[in-house]
Amino acid sequence: MLKYLVILLDDTSTSFCHYDNRKSESRLMPIETLKGGIRFGMMENLMIQFVYPVDALPLEHLKAIETIDHGVIAPSGSPVSADVVVFNDWDTFLKFDYPDMGTFVLRTDSKQLCENPKYLESVLYQVTRLNIVLTDIETMNDEDFEKYDRFLDELRGIMKRLYLKGYQTQCNLITDRIVLDAMNNCNAGTESITLAPNGKFYICPGFYYDGLDAVGSLEDGLDIKNPQLYRLDHAPLCRICEAYHCKRCIWLNQKTTIEVNTPSHEQCVVAHMERNQARLLLNELQDRGIYDKKQEIKEISYLDPFDVKDEW
Amino acid sequence: MEAIIKSQNEQWRSGIAKGITFIVTKDCQLACKYCYLVGKNSKERMPWSIAKQTVDYILDHENDFKEESVIWDFIGGEPFLEIDLIDKICDYIKMEMFRRNHHWFNSYRFSFSTNGINYHEEKIQQFIEKNRNHLSIGITIDGTRQKHDLNRVYKNSERGSYDDVVKNIPLWQFQFPGMGTKVTISSADLPYIKESVLHLFSLGIPEVNINCVFEDVWKEGDDLIFQNQLIELADAIIDNGLYENNVCSFFQEHLGKPLDRKLQNQNWCGAGKMLAVDAAGIFYPCTRFAQYSLRDKKAWIIGNVNEGIDKNKLRGFLTLDRCTQSTKECIDCEVAEGCAWCQGENYDAADTCTAFQRSTAICKMHKARVRANNYYWNKLFRKLELEGIERERANEHVKQPQMKDIC
Ligand code: SF4
Ligand code: SF4
Ligand code: SF4
Repeated sequence: MLKYLVILLDDTSTSFCHYDNRKSESRLMPIETLKGGIRFGMMENLMIQFVYPVDALPLEHLKAIETIDHGVIAPSGSPVSADVVVFNDWDTFLKFDYPDMGTFVLRTDSKQLCENPKYLESVLYQVTRLNIVLTDIETMNDEDFEKYDRFLDELRGIMKRLYLKGYQTQCNLITDRIVLDAMNNCNAGTESITLAPNGKFYICPGFYYDGLDAVGSLEDGLDIKNPQLYRLDHAPLCRICEAYHCKRCIWLNQKTTIEVNTPSHEQCVVAHMERNQARLLLNELQDRGIYDKKQEIKEISYLDPFDVKDEW
Repeated sequence: MEAIIKSQNEQWRSGIAKGITFIVTKDCQLACKYCYLVGKNSKERMPWSIAKQTVDYILDHENDFKEESVIWDFIGGEPFLEIDLIDKICDYIKMEMFRRNHHWFNSYRFSFSTNGINYHEEKIQQFIEKNRNHLSIGITIDGTRQKHDLNRVYKNSERGSYDDVVKNIPLWQFQFPGMGTKVTISSADLPYIKESVLHLFSLGIPEVNINCVFEDVWKEGDDLIFQNQLIELADAIIDNGLYENNVCSFFQEHLGKPLDRKLQNQNWCGAGKMLAVDAAGIFYPCTRFAQYSLRDKKAWIIGNVNEGIDKNKLRGFLTLDRCTQSTKECIDCEVAEGCAWCQGENYDAADTCTAFQRSTAICKMHKARVRANNYYWNKLFRKLELEGIERERANEHVKQPQMKDIC
């Protein structure tokens, strides 16, 4: 069932996820479209997430936004107070003056991430939750995987130190899997849908920015073809997988395999490396009495469920 | 109705053989009226360099092609128009498999689907002689002369090709005894099913393997015409005792039963386990995914000779199962067994860019086939029973099929 409506307020609204937004020219969502989107969200009982550009919005847009309970996703340079602050570069990420509350998203390629684990530590002491989003999963090769695994190893050490000092910081790459006992994916197309500045609906913002087909419009309503294919039970690999924290990114799926329900090898390997490091972290924290011993993440021998699909 | 006379059992190493298809040319001597190759032309011929690069790529990556055997398939247009190229490719394949001590060296076959017109020509005969023990050749024929010449006419003239094809059948039968036939029927062919199958039997072809096309071509009432043709055919086969020496694949004892969701959940077609390459060196999961065979969708490209195969583009095919691509109606269907699909047609007809949406254009035709099939077996078993043959021993008196349904 749909729960969330993501509204892109401008063509230059920040990306907050795996997709890139390469649009540099502002195209503000017309006020009537914005009001129509809010009305749609209200009628369908959807929680609206507004995605902001760096530039300030006109007053009438801000007023319209305040007519509904909502969440704010904004880039780090935006003047608005955001629930989710997105960093697209390391410099700003490291120099930012972090408030007490909020979720922070760091979008980075794996190369930069793997070079900077130490810098990450200082930020992790300042926030309650950090989401790290890799922007180059689809191009990662075996060498990159090795580096990423080494990085995760270091991240595990950082998280362990934090927890032993009494911090309860969450970092999606390693702590999410520990607290999950069922799939918790992005669910674009089943739980969330995106409204673009052109008044059309898309599965996620990435589909809009890549010029892919819309799935309806404010004018004609939502029309998702083959809706079952976005559901977990119609994803042959993911439905038997237990990398529960994995985004199961629909946008990456269609980009790499053509099928929205089929992940690439790279997405699976990355998620399983994270899962395996979460397992080690859990064991270490259990040894120090921080987690209940009953909780278990099983040891597995594969990094890509595709390689063992015949056994299921 | 299009019949491809296969020289040998289609099930050769089925399941454990890799199918590699070279689309060597899009040219043909004929201009068949139903030809689906919208992009047919005389320009796109595969250059030797592309063929060689393809063979090198495949043999270089032995670990990615672990199947026990290989079928090197050559299609067109009319593949034998490129006999010089094909001969060179086959020589190179043999030489390279030997030089590399490749595990396919003793387990390969060259396969052809031809219109049969130039089958007798010297170069082709020399090629057959040279590769005789590793060959499978199918010749296309449309039932009776009248039926064949209605559709299969020469380019730039209305002259039918029946005589030119049929004259080559004895030679071909002599070279490849034990032949079977593959037939594909469309809406306009329905009234001719009975006479065409009986005609193929009379040409000495004992096994006729038939499928309805998967495309959405079926008109109101076609299922009844189909059912009645099959019942007339059943009568002719049974009343004349033809079942002793002939097989028509429309009639299969275990057809039309419900399927188990778990135990019978396999995909039907082999797309994703095969590889097709065109004249430009582009790779596809099968020829049905090349642009020239698609109506509405973009070609499904899985790589090319320079960059190799992008395995991510095959993951969907290799994880496809019956239930995930079927509607609830198909999953719960009481007569589902034997109801086939073609992944390429599914993709072409799908509402989105996916191979996970099963096209059911064939639904009413399958149901009609099941009714006629039930009639056939009830009638046959009763006849045998009256002749004193018990049901358990009936199979000893009925010729068993060698071929399976082919997409
Ligand atoms: S790891 Fe792969 S199979 Fe598992 S949920 Fe993620 S994308 Fe799906
Ligand atoms: S499909 Fe989901 S995970 Fe993927 S880019 Fe879009 S919002 Fe992010
Ligand atoms: S297409 Fe029709 S006959 Fe075939 S399985 Fe589905 S419901 Fe049954």
